[in-house]
Amino acid sequence: MNNIEIKDLSKKYAGFLLDKISFNVPSGAIVGLIGENGAGKTTTIKSILNIINSEGTVKILGKDSKAHEKEIKKDLGVVLDDSFLSAYLTPKHINSVMKDFYQTWDENKYNDLLKQFGLPTDKLVKDFSSGMKMKLKIATAISHNPKILILDEPTSGLDPVVRSEILDIFRKYIEEDETRSILLSTHITTDLEHISDYIVFIDKGKIVLNVPTLELLEEYGVAKCTKEEFSKINEKDYVSYKKGKYQYEVLINDKNSFKKKYGITSIDKPSIDDIMLFYIKGER
Amino acid sequence: MIKGLLKKDLYNLASYKTSLIIIVIFCGMAIIGTDAIYWGSVVIGIIVGMISLSTFSYDEMAKSNRYILTLPVTRKEIVLEKYILAIGATILGSLLGFVLTLLIGNIMNYVRPDNVIDINIDTLLATTIGGLFGVSLIQAIQIPSIFKWGAEKGRIQMFIVLFVLALIGSGVGFLIKESGLSVDIAKLESVLKNFGLFLLILLSFIIYFISYKISYKIYKNKEE
Repeated sequence: MNNIEIKDLSKKYAGFLLDKISFNVPSGAIVGLIGENGAGKTTTIKSILNIINSEGTVKILGKDSKAHEKEIKKDLGVVLDDSFLSAYLTPKHINSVMKDFYQTWDENKYNDLLKQFGLPTDKLVKDFSSGMKMKLKIATAISHNPKILILDEPTSGLDPVVRSEILDIFRKYIEEDETRSILLSTHITTDLEHISDYIVFIDKGKIVLNVPTLELLEEYGVAKCTKEEFSKINEKDYVSYKKGKYQYEVLINDKNSFKKKYGITSIDKPSIDDIMLFYIKGER
Repeated sequence: MIKGLLKKDLYNLASYKTSLIIIVIFCGMAIIGTDAIYWGSVVIGIIVGMISLSTFSYDEMAKSNRYILTLPVTRKEIVLEKYILAIGATILGSLLGFVLTLLIGNIMNYVRPDNVIDINIDTLLATTIGGLFGVSLIQAIQIPSIFKWGAEKGRIQMFIVLFVLALIGSGVGFLIKESGLSVDIAKLESVLKNFGLFLLILLSFIIYFISYKISYKIYKNKEE
């Protein structure tokens, strides 16, 4: 079952078009939405949440996101990179406010999370560091036990220790109930290698890749070959290539078949960043 | 849900409490120093009423409307909450102004028996309600302006709208005068004397209602 189903989602701005994108967020899965800054990640998330008006259909927990908006939002926990309730509230105030939004608000869970994250309850949010602010946003997003978490750039600007702590929280959130899902947009792709089940890669408003993370990491490869070797490779057998001074680097999506077919054994395991770069900067 | 939004705004406004107390004390001192004691209630009513609109600036700073739209709350409730807050603050401010003016006036009469200020309750009530109407008129123009153009830009646009309205008002007045229509001033005065305050309150609520409808229409399709 899919917790989120997105079909032909489009949004036009001057100089930018989110072009009929479709993808799903299955139940029990963490889906990473990746792409360059300005590729359309935040526009996609804002469209899913009806913060902006877009065309296409979004179904959340089987219901149309526009027709059942309020009902659906009771089951969502959202973290936005640049927006929160107010900088002039304390975590204690936030608890008092959120109680009125969610019937399922779990005050004990919220207070436990604040304790776990080492966040003071009486300090104004404006005096928090970026890491503390993000932890507070996450604690706020998960304390009503939502079925789906939607997170826009939750790890950007944070140091590796805080990032790792935050990723642990997401892992635990899914482990607690495997019908839950997380949709997470980021441009720090190394985070996704550890926690995501699927990768959806957006470039210039279009989805260029939508695959299980394991497939991406296990089956993709970067073959290094000479000009002569490259000239023998069929165009259908590679995604894109980069021409170096002495050799060609070729991104392939089925390294075992490639190895057998062409006998090229110098194949590196690419990171998600490498793959992204090949898609954006590579030639075809 | 509206309760949650109201709480958020009231917590934001709580950071104003020191400035608000200082302003009210200064107003109190100004009342003591003048014979135009009735203005005290108007000034306090305006200050408290208008401060409620500063919550829009807090929202803009934290881009909180974008976040609020991710919570289980409708756009209608978001707009309605701002009106509840504005109307509540205006009524509270006017009440506070009324009570404080009465209190300070009487204390001063007790302290300064040689310089007694004549406080007429009816006049004070009329002035307070007149002030309340003024605040509601400004808010009714300002709130849709803010929803349309934002807290900062909205202020400039509001002055433009006020100016245009004043221009239209003078234009209509001029036309009535020029067209030779006779207005029975005595009759008008009598109506105002008997029903004036009730009419002003009713008019305030009608203005707020129209303003709410306009704000909702603007915010319904606004992208954050």
